[in-house]
Amino acid sequence: MTLPFTHVDWAAVAPLEVLAATGLLVLLLDLLWRPFAPRALSLSVAVLGTIVTVVMIAQQYGTNVSAFNGGYVVGNFSVLFSEVILLGTLGALALMGRGGSDRESAGTIALLLWSACGALLLAAAATTMTIFLGIELLSLALYCLCGLANRKSAREAALKYLLLSSTASAVLLFGMALLFGASGSVSLAALATPAMVTNPLFWMGSGFFLVGIAFKLSLVPFHAWAPDVYQGAPLPITAFMTVVTKAATIAIFARFAYAALPVGASQMLLLPIWVIAGISMIVGNVGMLAQHDLKRLLGYSGIAQVGYILAALAGTTKLGLRYAFFYLAVYAVMNLGAFAVAAVLSSSDEEEGTHLESYRGLGARRPLLAAAMTFFLLALAGLPPTAGFLGKILILAVTAGSGYLWLAALLLLGTAISLYAYAKIILAMYRPDHRVRSAETLRGAPLPWLSLALCLVATVALTFYPLLPSGIVPLVK
Amino acid sequence: MLLALVLLPIIAGSVILLLRGEDRRIYRAIGVIVALATLLLAIEARSENWSAPWLRAPFVANFHLGIGTLAFWLIVLLALCTACAVLAVDSARPRALIGQLLLLEGTMLGLFVSRDLLLFALFYDLMLVPVFFVLLERGEHPRDAWRYIIYNFAGGLLLLFATAAFGVLHGTTDVIGTVGTTITGAWVPWIFWGFAIAFLVKTPAFPLHTWMPNTYASLPPPVAAVVGAVQSKAGLYGLFVIGLTLMPQEIARYSNVLIVLGSISVLYGAVAALVQSDAKRVVAYSSLSHLGLIVIAIATQQPLALAGAALYIVAHGLFTAAIFLGLGYVEEREETRSLARLRGIGAKNPRLAGALTIGGLAMLGLPGLAGFVGELVIITGIVESGNIAVAIIAVVSVVLAAAYVLRLFQGIVNGPVAHDLPVRRDLTWREGIAIAPLLLALLYLGVNPHAVLASGSVPIPRAPLSSTAGVTTP
Repeated sequence: MTLPFTHVDWAAVAPLEVLAATGLLVLLLDLLWRPFAPRALSLSVAVLGTIVTVVMIAQQYGTNVSAFNGGYVVGNFSVLFSEVILLGTLGALALMGRGGSDRESAGTIALLLWSACGALLLAAAATTMTIFLGIELLSLALYCLCGLANRKSAREAALKYLLLSSTASAVLLFGMALLFGASGSVSLAALATPAMVTNPLFWMGSGFFLVGIAFKLSLVPFHAWAPDVYQGAPLPITAFMTVVTKAATIAIFARFAYAALPVGASQMLLLPIWVIAGISMIVGNVGMLAQHDLKRLLGYSGIAQVGYILAALAGTTKLGLRYAFFYLAVYAVMNLGAFAVAAVLSSSDEEEGTHLESYRGLGARRPLLAAAMTFFLLALAGLPPTAGFLGKILILAVTAGSGYLWLAALLLLGTAISLYAYAKIILAMYRPDHRVRSAETLRGAPLPWLSLALCLVATVALTFYPLLPSGIVPLVK
Repeated sequence: MLLALVLLPIIAGSVILLLRGEDRRIYRAIGVIVALATLLLAIEARSENWSAPWLRAPFVANFHLGIGTLAFWLIVLLALCTACAVLAVDSARPRALIGQLLLLEGTMLGLFVSRDLLLFALFYDLMLVPVFFVLLERGEHPRDAWRYIIYNFAGGLLLLFATAAFGVLHGTTDVIGTVGTTITGAWVPWIFWGFAIAFLVKTPAFPLHTWMPNTYASLPPPVAAVVGAVQSKAGLYGLFVIGLTLMPQEIARYSNVLIVLGSISVLYGAVAALVQSDAKRVVAYSSLSHLGLIVIAIATQQPLALAGAALYIVAHGLFTAAIFLGLGYVEEREETRSLARLRGIGAKNPRLAGALTIGGLAMLGLPGLAGFVGELVIITGIVESGNIAVAIIAVVSVVLAAAYVLRLFQGIVNGPVAHDLPVRRDLTWREGIAIAPLLLALLYLGVNPHAVLASGSVPIPRAPLSSTAGVTTP
């Protein structure tokens, strides 16, 4: 009997194996330890395993391997997106360090790591089969994670996410089936042939595929689930979803848009995506204005931020991809930073303290935290000296440069609106608070603080040393 | 040296914000020393050029610092105003205020020494943040902080867009002060208006001025002095070094629009100043009127008008800062700014009344003080350029200025002592020293304006690029 895959294939996915094995190890430790493995132990194992994965993936930089018959393609593109995904995973793990019961920690952490595995798979997926595998692995773990908190809203979030995400997956799968019918192959590379332009199956399939992607990216008009789910899910899971799910889905979209479309079809096929990206900027930022919960607000903010990232891809230029990646990385650190502040502030799962009312008077009570939160919010709005500023100007330059002036104009309008929403939180923090509060004894666990500090440094450093990797080409073969 | 110039106040301000304790003397001393040190550094680094690479794509951008001639005078003005404002701080919680003042100075210094459009845009947005926080914490109403940040950030976004488009079109943003850099193409009007609207919001000019009276009235006097005197000049400085240098054809093409906006600002500001009952608002609207005159001067592109504009930029800064500080002293003593209630300061506090009067006389353009020379040269330039109607509007505004300044100071300084208001001691030494340098500088520039006038006659101040600059532009 000959094995279908060689050691080359398995070596390409070695980082994923390590990450998945770490998840197993965490569960195993929990099983052996009586009654439950301490949270700190599970977390340290998970963080260690993730860091090993980060290093292993970093070593793949510059290589170009096509494994599993072209289903898993390792290159700079996959490496960079994988690193952002792992960054988001580390950020979410750090938020778990704020405390909680030992009982559920191992299971949560294991699910989180496996979900990250699915995201890593997506970053390198080059056939529709691998894409679907990755999406399901990512989502299945997330359905459970969303419902973990013992709140009604968490169960509601989990159910909502399950129903809508499955619908999106179904649409995506239908699109993939049609694409298979068009090209007779699951490979994305098979789509990039001129014959496809006249094939109606290809157009329909691509349409369904893109709708599925838009669902997953929570672009308008498929965005309604995102704020509800983000609000209901536990804080670390929300942070994970805003960064990791977005990064993985954008990787898929970029690979599809850049490498899988025949030359004649790409402009016309993708135009609706740019349009809904532009609408998302406005709707997301306007939606933020009415929110009273930080997680919900950041959910709406995420809708708009994805719009900015996609705007950079408009015109599918090489520069655009670099800036989209840059802004994605910047968004990841800004967003994780804001979540880290929320994690330091929130005491337990029962009362998470993400309602904006609990930020009132923070400037007087916890000046450092208030300053950090202000910094991250201004960064999300795009004020200097944060990398959000540089990211926006790069996107503006490349969007306007490829002729999408209207998209650049929408970006400006959206940004102006967003400042109003972000500044609302800042205003609340610095407004005097006359209510009597119990003495704040909470010091916060070290991990969220560490994450906060690192995000802060990264947000400033990326302004002055912009990380704009060059050879980032999405490969399909 | 240039880097130290920008970083020193920023670092000092951040450190002060992190400290504990509220000892006024210590913080004042630190603040004044830092502000004076930046003054010395600026003089020392006047001919320096410093550059480090930033971006290579989609356009070249560098951290390029250098001091142009107009920028030099603005930096001197800024350092002087900051030193005076810090010295005048008399709050019970001076730490945060002085820290923010230093941050404000640092970010504005960064703006004036930027030789790169992207860096300019960065500092243009950054300098909003300290003022926003002062307004949030000490403003009279949070609404004022909103208005300030929304208007100015929207302007900043247009600047950002214009910068990005400029960079894409021209290939580099490292162009401030580069002689002969002009861009052409169908986009240029859009880029120009992106810049122009951003600058007109900041200046401000009609109809983009509505954030300004609230902001100036709401800010604590020392911060109002720096913002009113120097931050408002960032827009005019931008019109000089970006508008006049990089897009002179566009300014010429749209000069009518700019002149109309400037003229409306001149008249509307003057008339509005006549009817305000809040002393600070009178100064705010007078600022709209005076700066509108400078916008007109820039729009004519007449060399004489530009020279006058450069001088008037500095002079306006000096007397605005002096008057805001003086009105701050009045408010501390009388606990009101209402013109209906204030009177008789001259009898109670003669030294304060004297300082206020000198500032006021500079504002209405008394010969011998710098404001007069600026106005005279600008109006001469406008006449030279052939716009007689505009020159008449300018002259009318000068007459109106006399009316509202006299109304303001008649009301506050003269008259019988108001018995319903508290009687407090006259100017202390500290308060006097905080306001005196501004008045002396007004007098000095009034009789010896040549150096500053010269800085406006060549709107393209430029030291040759050093070899470290990375790129050379055509």
